[in-house]
Amino acid sequence: MNASLRDRVAIVGAGYSSLTRRSPRLLAELTVEACDAALKDAGVTRADVDGVATVPTMPAYGNAGSLDGADVVSVGYLIRLLGIGHQVDWYTQTPGLITSTVIDAVNALAAGACNFVLVWRAVHMPRGRYSNFSRPGAGGEDQFRAPYGWTMPAAWQAMAYQKYFADHGAGREEMGRFVVDNRANANLNPRSYFRDVPLTLEEYMASRMVAEPVCLYDCDLPVDGCAAIVLTTAERALAMGRRGALITGYAQTTYPSTGGFTDPENMWIGGGAMGQKLWAAAGVGPEEMDLALLYDGFSVFVWMWLESLGFCKRGEAAAFFRDGHGRLTGSLPVNTSGCSLGEGRLHGMAHLTEAYLQLSGQAGARQLPNARRAVVTVGPGSWVSGGLVLRAL
Amino acid sequence: MTTGQPAPAGKPVPLPDDLTAPYWEGAGRRELCIQRCCRCRTFAHPPESLCPACNSPELRFEAVSGRGRVYSFTVVRDNVTRGFEAEVPYVVALVELAEQKRLIVVTNLPEADPERVRVGSPVVVDFEARDGMTVPQFRLASDDR
Ligand SMILES: [Zn+2]
Repeated sequence: MNASLRDRVAIVGAGYSSLTRRSPRLLAELTVEACDAALKDAGVTRADVDGVATVPTMPAYGNAGSLDGADVVSVGYLIRLLGIGHQVDWYTQTPGLITSTVIDAVNALAAGACNFVLVWRAVHMPRGRYSNFSRPGAGGEDQFRAPYGWTMPAAWQAMAYQKYFADHGAGREEMGRFVVDNRANANLNPRSYFRDVPLTLEEYMASRMVAEPVCLYDCDLPVDGCAAIVLTTAERALAMGRRGALITGYAQTTYPSTGGFTDPENMWIGGGAMGQKLWAAAGVGPEEMDLALLYDGFSVFVWMWLESLGFCKRGEAAAFFRDGHGRLTGSLPVNTSGCSLGEGRLHGMAHLTEAYLQLSGQAGARQLPNARRAVVTVGPGSWVSGGLVLRAL
Repeated sequence: MTTGQPAPAGKPVPLPDDLTAPYWEGAGRRELCIQRCCRCRTFAHPPESLCPACNSPELRFEAVSGRGRVYSFTVVRDNVTRGFEAEVPYVVALVELAEQKRLIVVTNLPEADPERVRVGSPVVVDFEARDGMTVPQFRLASDDR
């Protein structure tokens, strides 16, 4: 990213649907709820939206379908529901993760393709188990995994935990300290699934094992729901007198792994290369961040991102969290809303909305006193991951 | 030893394709055959169309030592894969083959006590018959004594 793109575009609104494990309401209805809430928060209406963008994928595992409005909500579907087809000048549907979508939106707004972009991520919890592999034959990448019973994300990511623990002498207790502190943040987040449910280290250590050393509380929380954000140009946001979060820089990972998740090393390699590009793009460094919203589809990703971005050296994340540096009162508050582990799995939206809320002073009981700059990462560090540096408008 | 013992019915069977057939045919001969670049001699797994190191299309499968070390592993407690219901808890390991750094093959360690598996444990390839196919499966080298 060229320096001329810095701080040209801002997030000026965020909105959520209800977040529940399984909603009796259709995903389309939840999406409309989140989008209207984001527009209201931004001080605009449906009539102002001339750009729309989403990631209309996932849940891709197991029994998930792809029925528009029920399993996913595509751009076309939402344009029709909002009745804005005649006014939309720009749209995209990105594969991968939400950072790609936001990056496209930044580029479109900075180029003058449109004035207000609505970005949403709608996630449906499919019936039955999330990641069943029930076919008798395994083709493609699955032929090297499924015959060994290695078909669920928790078991894939368990390899990263085990390797990290073995390489750096850390263990579940250190991971537990991060997860417990993270839950305390979620307890201060009114829309968090776990807002009323504290977690102790003892409960973490005794919780159900999914794939050793990954336990239930290391995994993000599948939900039915949607979050949306509204982006506009910095000039327009200033003219409207909006509070918000300017996007100072962005970067994406460019280290595809082969054969699926076969090597956790790719997360450090890809994440580290992305970190360097991100700081160069933003023109600031890790020491200037007031908080970090690091992707937590699995708890270990947070450790790996902390190291990949240069907040500490490789192998030091365990001690960083053990010593409390990531708490709200610590030197670098991490995942201040509880993010995917505490709020629910919206594939990176929790990180974007929390960056916006903290930087615009709207984070309520968990508001940091002096939040001026934040970094957001989404993804596991390897392919399709992305990052943003933001600052208060 | 898993040799010759049919696996419990219902575990997924690999569906070879044009790119991967020699790997599974090799397993049928009880050989671990890994794709190798004829030009720069780099190994690749899972199989590739072009050599990721030098882009040569000339990749051939060759039998390797079948020795390596546990690069990482997990003990699956919450099964979601067909046919593995009775196996829980079972080990899935990434084996780094002796031939090249980060040349990794996925395996179970069907005979190993999960408590004895460590990152770095030496392993040796073995083979499991499954519904007319043969699936490479490793064992702990220490179990051979
Ligand atoms: Zn080559």
